[in-house]
Amino acid sequence: MNVARDLLKHLCEALLRGALTVLTMAVVWELVVRVGGVPSYYLPSLVDVLAAVTVAPGAYVDSALRTIAETVLGFAGGAVFGVLIGVAFFQWKALRDYLFPMFVISQTIPVIAFGAVVVLWFGNTLWAKAVIAFYMTFFPVTVNTLQGLNAVDPRQVALLRSFGANAWQLLTRLRLPAALPQIFVALKLGATLSLLGAIAGEWFGDSVGVGVLLLHAMYNEQIPALWAAIFLAGAIGTLLYAVMSYIETRFVFWRDEL
Amino acid sequence: MILSLLPLIKKRGLLVAMLTVVLGSTLMVSAPSVNAQELTEASLRLKWLPQAQFAGYYYAHAKGYYREEGIDLTLNPGGPNLVAENLVASGADTFGISGGSDSLLAAVDKGMPLVSVGVSHQITPFVFVSRKDGPVKTLQDFKGKKAMVWFTGGNYVLFGMLNNAGIDRSELTILPQQSSVTPFINGDVDVIAAMSFNELYTIKQQIGEDKLRLFKSEDFGMTFPRDTLIVTKKTAQEKPELVKAFLRASIRGWHDAMANPKEAIDLVMQAAPTLNREHQEFMMQESYRLMTAGKAKTEGIYWIDEASLKSAHDFLLKNKVLSKPVPIATAFDGSFLKSIPIELRNP
Repeated sequence: MNVARDLLKHLCEALLRGALTVLTMAVVWELVVRVGGVPSYYLPSLVDVLAAVTVAPGAYVDSALRTIAETVLGFAGGAVFGVLIGVAFFQWKALRDYLFPMFVISQTIPVIAFGAVVVLWFGNTLWAKAVIAFYMTFFPVTVNTLQGLNAVDPRQVALLRSFGANAWQLLTRLRLPAALPQIFVALKLGATLSLLGAIAGEWFGDSVGVGVLLLHAMYNEQIPALWAAIFLAGAIGTLLYAVMSYIETRFVFWRDEL
Repeated sequence: MILSLLPLIKKRGLLVAMLTVVLGSTLMVSAPSVNAQELTEASLRLKWLPQAQFAGYYYAHAKGYYREEGIDLTLNPGGPNLVAENLVASGADTFGISGGSDSLLAAVDKGMPLVSVGVSHQITPFVFVSRKDGPVKTLQDFKGKKAMVWFTGGNYVLFGMLNNAGIDRSELTILPQQSSVTPFINGDVDVIAAMSFNELYTIKQQIGEDKLRLFKSEDFGMTFPRDTLIVTKKTAQEKPELVKAFLRASIRGWHDAMANPKEAIDLVMQAAPTLNREHQEFMMQESYRLMTAGKAKTEGIYWIDEASLKSAHDFLLKNKVLSKPVPIATAFDGSFLKSIPIELRNP
């Protein structure tokens, strides 16, 4: 209960701060469009954008839920895998020497090149998008976990060793907690990256999702609907980021002391 | 600092709860679907995003026509990054609506094991548009102007039209067309290609129908039948009954969709709720007009008209899109269609 209330409070505060900025931008936007006489295919009025949502509000809700599910699944998988592999690379140098270059190569492949193959393998499933979201997440998490683990103060390691700590205790009691701030940097980055991955995945022939809304609006030249989809993607990205930074404040509560 | 880390261990509860939620939802998603035992599973990869161009399939699907024919069909939307030929050839999809006679012949030429069992659009489904008050009044006026066309097959139609009129294609600037017709509306290009059921609608809405001049490829001796229904050669050989059943259900779907247009559009809009209804109503009528044009008037929808396919083939061969002659009979097989009584196929 406490956690939920805290999360809500955290979100509300962030929302209030954000609302002021957003409101200012909205007023400027509307002024530019109306006073400046900008054609609607360059920049539609926000009223038109809202109207596009009210035509089929259900589609926006369904799409948001679907995209969030894909993102969260892929992100969770990528985060867990990234931390595990980061730890494995740290513990076994040989593994890192052999596999790390492969990881780097995998990240040089543009997701759009990779997407068509994923659809061939997994079809139009939630899994296909989760796999792409996973692909976007695991690498930054691996790199940051490795860096965080490497950055632990050797004097602290020596101290715990002198108390008789074994390798497992060193890892779970010192190294991982000390690497957490670094890992969370990657997790926050990964939250938005995995959303990008899920949306890109939806461009390969699906019927529900924020990516699908973007595609439909783009190819049917429904510019207000295009902006509505962009805002929806932005809102989901912000939400995921906010949740991650809230979890960070709970887990890395000592951060301010660093 | 180490001591201050100890309370961290208590936070594991939250992590465990989060993992449980994720794993729980994972299990729910992977639960197998039931009651599809005596039905054959198959999928249809559409050529493009869900829209009324495919109303007949959506209608047949929603009304259970495929199930009545023993097919458990999944409708898979296409999109800008997907090529139905590849997805069908690789076995990812059973049926596909391919780009058209041009892309299918090119795929067969490259050795893809595909065969078309029906042709949807009997005539070229797009036109070239210029402004009535602009400089382009005849095909000859294309010279020295800027024209936009999709480089995914549409360009060959333009090349063919110019060729037949004795115009060297290097005399004009031909630009690749993207998703938007804005360059034409803004006046940045003089001529643009437009699907008669899609872009043309948008252009008419923005500029006005009476202010446009249309160039139809048929008026310049070129016809490219498009939206061909494809299967692999393996499916055609091993499951002829599946192919016939699919054709019967699809034809029935189109007939009934046209008889109940409002309901048909409702079903399409269920698949893509953000679509513009008026546009979709127009699109369904226009798509059906293309499906029932030419020989299909007397031979029924999906008719494979060898004469127009041959002329498209010869043109593609001459322009080196095809590396060698592709016999029409190997790329197209009308036997499945002909097994269905003509009364059922007639528009």
